[in-house]
Amino acid sequence: MSNKGKGPAIQKNAAGENKRPLLVSLHYYRGFYVMFLPVLIFAVVFNYLPMLGIRYAFCTYKGIKAPEFIGLGNFEKMISMPGFWTAFGNTLVISIVKLLLNTFMAVLLSLLLNELRSMKFKKFAQTVVYLPHFMSWVVTASVFTLILSPTNAGLVNSILIKLGIIDEGIYFLGSQDWWRPMYYMVNVWKDTGWGTIIFMATLSGISPELYEAASMDGAGRWNCMRYITLPALANTIITVLILNLAKIMNLFESVFVMQNDAVIKQSDVLQTYIYTQTFNSGALPDYGYTTAVGLASSIVGCILVLVCNKASFKVRGRGIV
Amino acid sequence: MKVKKMLAAGMAVTMAATLGLTGCSGGGDTADSGDTANTAAEGGDTAAASEDGIEKPEKITIMVDGTVFTQVNARDKFEARWEELTGIDLEIIQPDHDAYYDVVGQTFASGPENWPDAMILSSSYYSGYAEEGALWDMTAAWDNSELKASGRVTGEDVIENMKINGQLFGFPVTRGNGCVTYVKKAWLDNCGLEAPTNYDEYLAMLEAFTTGDPDGNGVDGDTYGVSAAGIIAVEAPYTNYLPEFYQDAYPSFVQGEDGVWYDGFTQDNFRDALTRLREAYAAGYIDKESLTNGTNDCRNKFYEDKFGVFTYWAGTWNTNLKTNLEANGRDGELVALPPIAELGAYTERNSPVWCITASCENPEGVFKYLIESMLDGGDMQTLWSYGVEDVHWSTKAETVCGNTYAEGEFHMKESLEKPGTQYTKAHIDPMLSIVTWENDPGINAVPEESKNSQQIFNDNCVQAQLIPSTEEMATYNGDLTTLKNSIIADVVVQGISLDEAYARFESEGGAEWSQMIVDSLNAME
Repeated sequence: MSNKGKGPAIQKNAAGENKRPLLVSLHYYRGFYVMFLPVLIFAVVFNYLPMLGIRYAFCTYKGIKAPEFIGLGNFEKMISMPGFWTAFGNTLVISIVKLLLNTFMAVLLSLLLNELRSMKFKKFAQTVVYLPHFMSWVVTASVFTLILSPTNAGLVNSILIKLGIIDEGIYFLGSQDWWRPMYYMVNVWKDTGWGTIIFMATLSGISPELYEAASMDGAGRWNCMRYITLPALANTIITVLILNLAKIMNLFESVFVMQNDAVIKQSDVLQTYIYTQTFNSGALPDYGYTTAVGLASSIVGCILVLVCNKASFKVRGRGIV
Repeated sequence: MKVKKMLAAGMAVTMAATLGLTGCSGGGDTADSGDTANTAAEGGDTAAASEDGIEKPEKITIMVDGTVFTQVNARDKFEARWEELTGIDLEIIQPDHDAYYDVVGQTFASGPENWPDAMILSSSYYSGYAEEGALWDMTAAWDNSELKASGRVTGEDVIENMKINGQLFGFPVTRGNGCVTYVKKAWLDNCGLEAPTNYDEYLAMLEAFTTGDPDGNGVDGDTYGVSAAGIIAVEAPYTNYLPEFYQDAYPSFVQGEDGVWYDGFTQDNFRDALTRLREAYAAGYIDKESLTNGTNDCRNKFYEDKFGVFTYWAGTWNTNLKTNLEANGRDGELVALPPIAELGAYTERNSPVWCITASCENPEGVFKYLIESMLDGGDMQTLWSYGVEDVHWSTKAETVCGNTYAEGEFHMKESLEKPGTQYTKAHIDPMLSIVTWENDPGINAVPEESKNSQQIFNDNCVQAQLIPSTEEMATYNGDLTTLKNSIIADVVVQGISLDEAYARFESEGGAEWSQMIVDSLNAME
């Protein structure tokens, strides 16, 4: 840059502190500000302006007539509806179990990949485990619906019947007992590989000298993993958990494509509840109510972010952003 | 380096332009309720006593879904032909078919100044927007129309059914159509059965298809009777995929002959229907995967000879099913069943309607020159039914997709969007037309089996009732429908008792919500 090594004129204010006048600073860094402008406009238009829609949470609004202010009426209705509480509970349970399970499996897989000695095979294995992440949820759900089919076409049931474990096919995705375990399994299949990236990066940063020293002291692979690898990963694991905890209210697509009428009590989450309220009411949806539910979800998400931020300060010495 | 700079600059400009345009389109105030209601009322009052004095619009703007020719299917040629026939400038707004009602909602919310003159609406949105005052009352325009006076209309009952409290806010240019039950003829023959005429015979047929060897592959019990995309469909008429089990039961709100509304889910006949479904499911007559099936799954299983009874759309779909069965090396002959005795009649869904918005400046003109003209029995009806000559259809001697046609023989052209297949229809399905059409150029091009199944359906159907929208409906029906569907699945698939099921309906608020909606519907009268 032509301005390298220079800077806008620095003046001293009344308190004797060095300060650049704003206009001078703006002018000096104008190139950067111009580059930043599209991002700023994008954020304002798509992230901040839509927040004005929050006001509809306090109105009845069907998109034609002007919104009618009803105070906290939508929130009163929301807390009186059993469907909301079912969805709220499911969101927390499904998200947290999924988060813990996916993180655990990602750590496990990372450790296994890290033990591979052939670099070619390691890279091949990494590529294979990353691939499911790039499949759309619609395709994933279709594939697993087929694999878990209760008929002869279902791979899992066919194997279980041939092994004599069961006599009749289990309708895994239509069973209230089996739906959640299957949902977690599909999530593990899809996201574990991708989740290993950050752990593999941490593992590659561990000094080989530590392993050499440990092996000279007589440590085997198990002890190396227990006393070197896992402690080195601990901080990353906590960081990943904390960062993902803030996003647990955003659960929609994976549930939506796998749920059905038989398991609605086990699978309905806040986002699918909002969808149902909007599109399955048989009438023009009341956007006021669905906005209220969305707002409640956002508030819970916000609280989680603040808690995570606090936890992050304690664990890492800095916040999550 | 220069290339990178140019790319970066280009992206920044594109983003800024996009944002600018987005900002422009988002403007406009929300409609004031008073204004829209007044406009709607004025429209109804000022409808011409006859069509003589109606002013011809200079331009008409319409919003349509994917049932009208899309851009990739030469919509510009369609538009040009329409303008040639009317001398009116036509502007077509056509969002992506799957996102159509999202865009409709956004358009209404953006204010009357952005509303098109006319649009297509499905029945579930139609009643809601009508009651919000967003649609023009076309009752008088229809009553005074040349079309009505012509005596060509055979589907006045279809039009009457779309009235809300006696007022017509949307015009159906076709029947709604519905599902008819198809049975594989070869399977009936293999089992030595005749087409069933009552529930006992229907059940015996399903048993034979499930436990016997209807496909003749030498293996008993490797097939099943019937499949469906869901035990209950997601939209009205909800019972149309398994009608023989539901019979006269209906899970939603019904207006009795005495004019009183009630919730069909709470009636004894619905309990009976659930019992029939549960028993058939437990016996394996109904596809075990019905809950998670999509319609595409069902069709594929049907083509693969996994089951033999399929309740699906009447008319063109008969030929589609036949063709695909034959393509899979199966016998394609299907028997379209008249409704069994206990069912009495199939249910016809409410047709999508053409509506004129309350902000339209010349609604009478739009009704006459756009909607009424679609059924003129001449060039315009041909255009809406088959498309543009030599683009979508032709009478020239040629071979299309392996089919050879003689000079003068009407046939559809190869699809521009899906090469290798022929167009089957345009916006109006001629078999569902609500008017007589003596000069229909394509009448002889419709395969016999399609005509036959459509005729069986048309002769044996009742129309689904249009359920008005109320505040209580908007407030509680989403939760209520979820609860009902969950209970139906519990009974049929999980096998819980009816007493348990209806106790759950009570304890989870279903009975209370249902009563509130029923009360609100009855209060409307």
